[in-house]
Amino acid sequence: MLNIFDKSKLSKRLDELKKMSLFGELTPRELKIVDGFMHERNYLKGEVIFDEGEEGQAIYVILGGQVLICHQGQAERPIATLDSGNFFGELALLDDAPRAAQARAAEDCTLVVLFRGDFLSLMVSHALIASKIALQLARHLGARLRTMVRSDPGPL
Amino acid sequence: MTEARYRSGPLVWCAILAATCLLLFLFQKILWLVVPFLFGLIIYYLLFPLQQRLVLGGMSRDASAALISSVAFTLAAGGLALMFPWITTHLVSWQGSATRYIDGGLLFIAETLAWIERSSSLAAKAHLGEQLTQQIVSLGDKLAGTYLTDAALTAAAWLPSLLLAPFLAFFFLRDGWRFKKFLSRAVPNAFFERTLYLLDQVDHTARLYFQGLIKLTVLDTLCLAVGLWLIGVSAPLMLGLVTAVLAWVPYVGSILGCLLVVLVAATDYPGDPAIAYSAIGLFIWVRLLDDFFFMPLTIGRSLKLHPLLTVVMIFVGGAVAGVAGLMLVLPLLGVVMVLGETIGEIITDPRLRARHAFARRLRQRMVTRDLRL
Repeated sequence: MLNIFDKSKLSKRLDELKKMSLFGELTPRELKIVDGFMHERNYLKGEVIFDEGEEGQAIYVILGGQVLICHQGQAERPIATLDSGNFFGELALLDDAPRAAQARAAEDCTLVVLFRGDFLSLMVSHALIASKIALQLARHLGARLRTMVRSDPGPL
Repeated sequence: MTEARYRSGPLVWCAILAATCLLLFLFQKILWLVVPFLFGLIIYYLLFPLQQRLVLGGMSRDASAALISSVAFTLAAGGLALMFPWITTHLVSWQGSATRYIDGGLLFIAETLAWIERSSSLAAKAHLGEQLTQQIVSLGDKLAGTYLTDAALTAAAWLPSLLLAPFLAFFFLRDGWRFKKFLSRAVPNAFFERTLYLLDQVDHTARLYFQGLIKLTVLDTLCLAVGLWLIGVSAPLMLGLVTAVLAWVPYVGSILGCLLVVLVAATDYPGDPAIAYSAIGLFIWVRLLDDFFFMPLTIGRSLKLHPLLTVVMIFVGGAVAGVAGLMLVLPLLGVVMVLGETIGEIITDPRLRARHAFARRLRQRMVTRDLRL
């Protein structure tokens, strides 16, 4: 029978998503709902995921592989290298400001993508789930801010 | 690297208009499928919020789609089954009523023309009333003879296909999100984010449009029903509903709705044209309410089309595909417009094309890694 909607990978992906800090607070049922909004993409080593200055519309979560965050044209001097379980482009969930840096696949990688439009739909239809994700996002941004303050304790 | 917002050029717009006309022409040929598809879409957008509530309550998407669909369609089938004996009983009397209302309308026109003749000597000299009444009667006979039988036979032929609508709605509810993901897998990585965002906008706009259309129909029905009931016209709720549904066909539907209201009012009160004029006044008032108050609240400016283009395309739709074209042209143009602008935006972005070409080279290198001599 023609099976165009592959369900076999679903439970494996849910297990992987559950381990991630962004979705750590979600119950299996809530995770399944979020998974319905997510898109899985595969990138080859060196492939550009998004460019600096591009209008951001989605957050990317790394299921497998490594992603390099750098300024445009400076891939040899990365700002950060992110492994499986991390996420990037998270500011796109909050506003449609241009991307602050470029993201490239440092090796062949698998990402799941959640669009801001879908996140906003979640806020309307599943407010509890959206608030759990938003809380984790706020914690993540807070932690990053603290790290920045510690590394550069100048006036805020 | 922030770029100015993309605006479609004349070439893209020509392609959009040509594609809309071509699709209208094709859709006219498969109307038996297009109409149930549209109804299926309307049912889907109506039931979708209920399904979301069930999913939030812990039910799976598949189970909630099955439950919502079976409850809704059982209710609809039960309602129809209960109404069926009543409909068959009244069918013959409705046929008589139709003739009575047409006669009433003709009488109203004749009275109005007689009043014009009394007021204007020029109209009286030209025997305006007599000539126009004769022309209207002959036109009515011609239309009834030539088109009515064909139209009734055509409607009867594709009416059973409307039974497809509930099935389509069920599968939209159950597999719509899977289909969206399936389609998104076909989009290359370089274009993925922008394409998905724009397609999401199409879905969002369509949802707002169809849900707004239903709300607008309910508001129109209520306003017209209350107004007609106050004037004293018979069957105000039924008349309000039919008129509100007719208004789905832009411009032409409103005119037909107005004619229907006038026919009924003129027949109910044959010697009192003031009632028919009041009905026309009520109809215009509800239309104005629609345009300035209800429509911004419900449908909004979801299609964002220029008024001139809207009117021209309605005429083009009518010319290409008749009544179906009148009804389909605007939603179709809206969808083709977004798709055309999406493709235009993507293929005119050199950076996205370069990224796609680079990704293709990477993929080519990967699959030919062990094939080099």
